[in-house]
Amino acid sequence: MAVYEKKYVWSILLRLFHWTFAPSIFTLIVTGLYIHWPWTNTWLEGSHQFTMATMRWIHFIAGMLFTCAVLARLYLWFFGNKYERVWDFLPITGRNIKNLFSTLIYYAYLTDHHEERLGHNALAGTAYFFTILLAIVQFLTGLYLLYPEGSIFTSIGASLFGTQQEARFIHYILNWYFAWFAMVHIYIVIWNDIKHPEGLISSIFDGFKFAKKEQ
Amino acid sequence: MKRSLYMGGLPGAMSRRGFLRACAIATAAMGLPMEMIPKVAEAASDPKRPSVVWLQFQECTGCSESLLRASHPDVATLILDLISLDYHETLMAAAGKQAEEDLDKAIEKGNYILVVEGGIPLKDGGVYCKIAGKTAVEILKRAAEKALAIISIGTCASYGGIQAARPNPTGAVGVSDIIKDKPIINVPGCPPNPENFLSTVLYYLTFKKLPPTDKFGRPLFAYGRKIHDHCERRPHFDEGRYVEQFGDVGHRLGFCLYKVGCKGPETYSNCPVIRFNDVEVWPVSVGNGCYGCTEPNFWDTMTPFHKRLPNVRIPGAGKGIQASATEIGKAALGVTAAALAIHAGVGIAKRLATGSKSEE
Ligand code: HEM
Ligand code: SF4
Repeated sequence: MAVYEKKYVWSILLRLFHWTFAPSIFTLIVTGLYIHWPWTNTWLEGSHQFTMATMRWIHFIAGMLFTCAVLARLYLWFFGNKYERVWDFLPITGRNIKNLFSTLIYYAYLTDHHEERLGHNALAGTAYFFTILLAIVQFLTGLYLLYPEGSIFTSIGASLFGTQQEARFIHYILNWYFAWFAMVHIYIVIWNDIKHPEGLISSIFDGFKFAKKEQ
Repeated sequence: MKRSLYMGGLPGAMSRRGFLRACAIATAAMGLPMEMIPKVAEAASDPKRPSVVWLQFQECTGCSESLLRASHPDVATLILDLISLDYHETLMAAAGKQAEEDLDKAIEKGNYILVVEGGIPLKDGGVYCKIAGKTAVEILKRAAEKALAIISIGTCASYGGIQAARPNPTGAVGVSDIIKDKPIINVPGCPPNPENFLSTVLYYLTFKKLPPTDKFGRPLFAYGRKIHDHCERRPHFDEGRYVEQFGDVGHRLGFCLYKVGCKGPETYSNCPVIRFNDVEVWPVSVGNGCYGCTEPNFWDTMTPFHKRLPNVRIPGAGKGIQASATEIGKAALGVTAAALAIHAGVGIAKRLATGSKSEE
């Protein structure tokens, strides 16, 4: 019988990042889609109710939290613990490149073999890496839309994305990336949690995973 | 009265095209569909159309003035030419006895719309406003008797206006406080928009009845919606960008005038849409808040004009959504920086304590 031991993997800061990032994405998608397509009836005059204003307000506040969460994650890429650092999970080492492909094959139910590791597997890590990059694009376009005149975000936004409309288009397209990411992420996490006794889901609450004790 | 009575400066006979144009403008202002234009034009040129008797009491002639200043020649001509104005003290050539006779004749003839400009004092038997020895109330009551309908033009005739402001020394009231048995419509404003007056008249000529009104007797097509909800500065209101003081940066950038006293959030009128003098201006567009001049008792309820209205909901926790999001963003950034600093501090402290890089 395998013996498992408790290992501390996710720092408080990383868990704070996760629990700011995830709800803010959910909120941003809901309010963002409202901004894109206001589905409620808006016949009431605007000074009696402010549905759009309220949605935008929530969107902007959630956007601020989202931006801060991304900044914290960027910091952890370089100064986090060994599982949190970016080179631990990017396919830039031989071990990680192998892991990337083996995970793909494993997820495709083509093999039962897989490498036990405490941090992210290389496939997840790569996805998270690009998600953070896209999150940067998302908050830069968002801040450009929020401060369209005479701010630092105006000049950054204009030089990176062009006009407000072009930025808005990118911002809108990425909305669907985040919606897709959230779905896939939750599915795979549950899948892994069912297949393995490492305590994947609980680890993002308490920071601990369970690893087979080497005998 | 013949058109020769009217002041020289007005354009001469109207072209068919100009006439239709004015009818189209008025039809649009009434919120009627395009198909109604011929109907309106027909009513406006019907030889049997009623004439207009215009009485002036406690007033500054600003309402008549603004009508004459309807710089759109079509609109001005339509008002002064097509609706046969049988009696108007400021505009007619007749004076004194002759003028009184004109009024008598017009009243006897009947078939007229009575337009009233100015408040009517009631205190002390109404002695505070007399014309040709008769009090304003007497004149009004007599003229009202045979009127088809009454239009109160301006806030004074509608609700008493400035002379009715506290303490109302002359006991001034509006027409509807005195006349109860006639259809009355109020076209308030200080002054009202000439186009709203014209549209009201044309509505009556076309449909033979007054347009639907709100609870203050104002035509809904003109006074049905809040200024604040149609104001071009409204986005600034929602985002929390305000003029804090006249002449400041926000003022120059065209921000919302709420904090310098704009009464738009409590005032019903189509000013932001119809605008004035055909040069597309209205008070807010030129940088002064709305004074609420279309509302009853605005001299009492809307003053001080440059102090902000209380209890107006501003979205975004009372600060405006962009302004408050910026504030929250800065706070969140501060908390994040603190969290990163703690994380870094703990890391460095651990390394100093153990003398080595921590494994996890
Ligand atoms: C996962 C993150 C985010 C998602 C999914 C998201 C989604 C959206 C969507 C769908 C729209 C509507 C675009 C359209 O109309 O086509 C939008 C608009 C907007 N978003 Fe985001 N957004 C996110 C993050 C942010 C951030 C971080 C900010 C900046 C604080 C931000 C600020 C804005 C602004 C200013 C608008 C335009 C609102 C307007 O002009 O009325 N968003 N967002
Ligand atoms: S408060 Fe006045 S200036 Fe500001 S949006 Fe309302 S009506 Fe316009």
